[in-house]
Amino acid sequence: MIEVKDLEKTFAKGSIATQVLKGASFSIDEGEYVAIMGTSGTGKSTLMNIIGCLDRPTGGHYTLNGTEVESLDDDALSHLRNHEIGFVFQQFHLLARASALKNVMLPLIYADEYPEDAEERAKQVLSSVGLSDRMDHRPNELSGGQQQRVAIARALVTNPSIILADEPTGNLDRKSGLDVLSIFRRLNGEGRTIIMVTHDEMTAEHADRIIQLKDGRVASDRKVQDPKDPQKELEALKTGEDDR
Amino acid sequence: MRASRIVKEGIQSLGANKLRTFFMMAGTIVGIAALTVIMAMGKGTEQNVMKKVNSFGIKAIMVTAGGGKGFSPPQEGITTLKLEDLEAIRSQVQGIELLSPGVMKRGSSIKAGNAQAQATAFAVESDFYDAWEWQLTSGEPINAEDMSTMARTCNLGTTLSRTLFGSTDPVGEYIQIGATRFLVKGVLESRGTSPSGGDMDNRVLVPLTTGMRRLLNVDYISFIRVKVKDIKDLVPIGDEIRKILHERHHITPPQEDDFAIVTATDIAEAARGISGTLSILLIALAGLSLIVGGIVLMNILLISVNERVKEIGLRRALGATQSDIFMQFLAESLAITLLGMLFGCLVGWGASLLVGMYAKAPVIISWEPFALAVVFSLTVGLFFGIQPARRAARLKPVEALQ
Repeated sequence: MIEVKDLEKTFAKGSIATQVLKGASFSIDEGEYVAIMGTSGTGKSTLMNIIGCLDRPTGGHYTLNGTEVESLDDDALSHLRNHEIGFVFQQFHLLARASALKNVMLPLIYADEYPEDAEERAKQVLSSVGLSDRMDHRPNELSGGQQQRVAIARALVTNPSIILADEPTGNLDRKSGLDVLSIFRRLNGEGRTIIMVTHDEMTAEHADRIIQLKDGRVASDRKVQDPKDPQKELEALKTGEDDR
Repeated sequence: MRASRIVKEGIQSLGANKLRTFFMMAGTIVGIAALTVIMAMGKGTEQNVMKKVNSFGIKAIMVTAGGGKGFSPPQEGITTLKLEDLEAIRSQVQGIELLSPGVMKRGSSIKAGNAQAQATAFAVESDFYDAWEWQLTSGEPINAEDMSTMARTCNLGTTLSRTLFGSTDPVGEYIQIGATRFLVKGVLESRGTSPSGGDMDNRVLVPLTTGMRRLLNVDYISFIRVKVKDIKDLVPIGDEIRKILHERHHITPPQEDDFAIVTATDIAEAARGISGTLSILLIALAGLSLIVGGIVLMNILLISVNERVKEIGLRRALGATQSDIFMQFLAESLAITLLGMLFGCLVGWGASLLVGMYAKAPVIISWEPFALAVVFSLTVGLFFGIQPARRAARLKPVEALQ
């Protein structure tokens, strides 16, 4: 469903041009759970922006669900983001003045057809991430982990084919991070494609496949033999706390 | 509808920072309020002007004895205006329908039985009623026979009639002007206040001949009332009369005139005068505050775009197109100015009523300023909202999210 070929991206700042992506190639099939790894400066954020249709490559090809993305205009990219991709950001990016429910409903405003059951849908996805009792809370009344779960609910409400997560556990404590990862594992079990960008090996090991970037190219692309089980880790965490 | 959902998003952000919203509205409020007051005052003034011109007579020119500019009642003691002057005007000037002379004496003491009054005595021709377009409410006018026989007959104004006779009809009764007895033949209809502010109904009319010879013993007149055929000729006929009088009275400007000529046009201009300057001032204030308010609005919106870069980036990531963002911010700007307009209209309405009550300026509240307010506020909202909305729309999602 995602096919990236010889992807290049060069940023020009004044007379200085910096090539961040130097010909990355890989493909991701529907239903995969992939972590894209790399230390900072390896171009993983740039790659994530291009996959998320937030930015365009300066060279190479990107095909999403059979659509040649580089040929699309700005409106078509917006449409694609709304339809095909659910974003989860490191800083959550929730609207501070809106309730959890309103935040989750936000993407529907930009849908071609506003669903009649918009509120029902939003409530349903909020329940599915365990926040049925927090719908009327504003972000500042929620913990970091809860905020990130609101963000996941928001990513799910348009029923996209891909969840694209950028360091989703980066701002969270270990338990909240594991909560997020167990939601991802469950979603993947329901057939959803998950692409997670991270610099953290431990987090990446939860995925089924790790694409390692180095210096703007794919350094390695491997299957994870025995992906970590967030549920087990959560239990271990609990026992550890109980022991103390 | 997608558009209505986006407009709603724009309007909702107004409640986010109420103080800021108020500052953004302030200019529109002041501008629209000023506009409303101006138009209410303008309408009131125009009605007032028409009232004054009507009480003066819309086709009238007054030639009065005594110099001075602007409209003032004739000065007593000026002896240079004569009936011969009237004849000269009659024979030399075209386009005059009527010429009616008169002599006046202020503060004449008048008695009827035990009742006493001070009023202005007018000695007039029988064509007075046509020249002044002034009717009687009861009795008979002074006629040609009264003139030729120097009859001691008179007409009363309503104020004088009330002072002397209360509510009873004075026709057929006698009054005494100074030491002379006069028969009351009729009562004039009420005319109200003169353009210079006097009570036009506190008067007594006697035949010109009787007045000049028997009552006052004078050979001069106080004024000539001119009624022109065509309203357009008011000013040129006034100028012609001035020329004739200069010649006959041997006056060469800059030597001061011993007479004054006032036309209905002059009355209208004088009545508009003060409020005209005030209107220009208020219009300037309205325009200025709308422009300044618009600039403030634009700047605060630009600041708010900068503050909300992340929000814009997020919305773009979630599928908002450039035009969605543009529309959201433009809707915000328009909502602010329209809200400002509503408050402005309310403030203006209240201010107009206060002006009417305390400044005694005539004020008429009508629908026009409110229609104009809608147009102006939409224009300001559009004009000053476009730039911030465009800046918001042009943000690149990747950069905005960082």
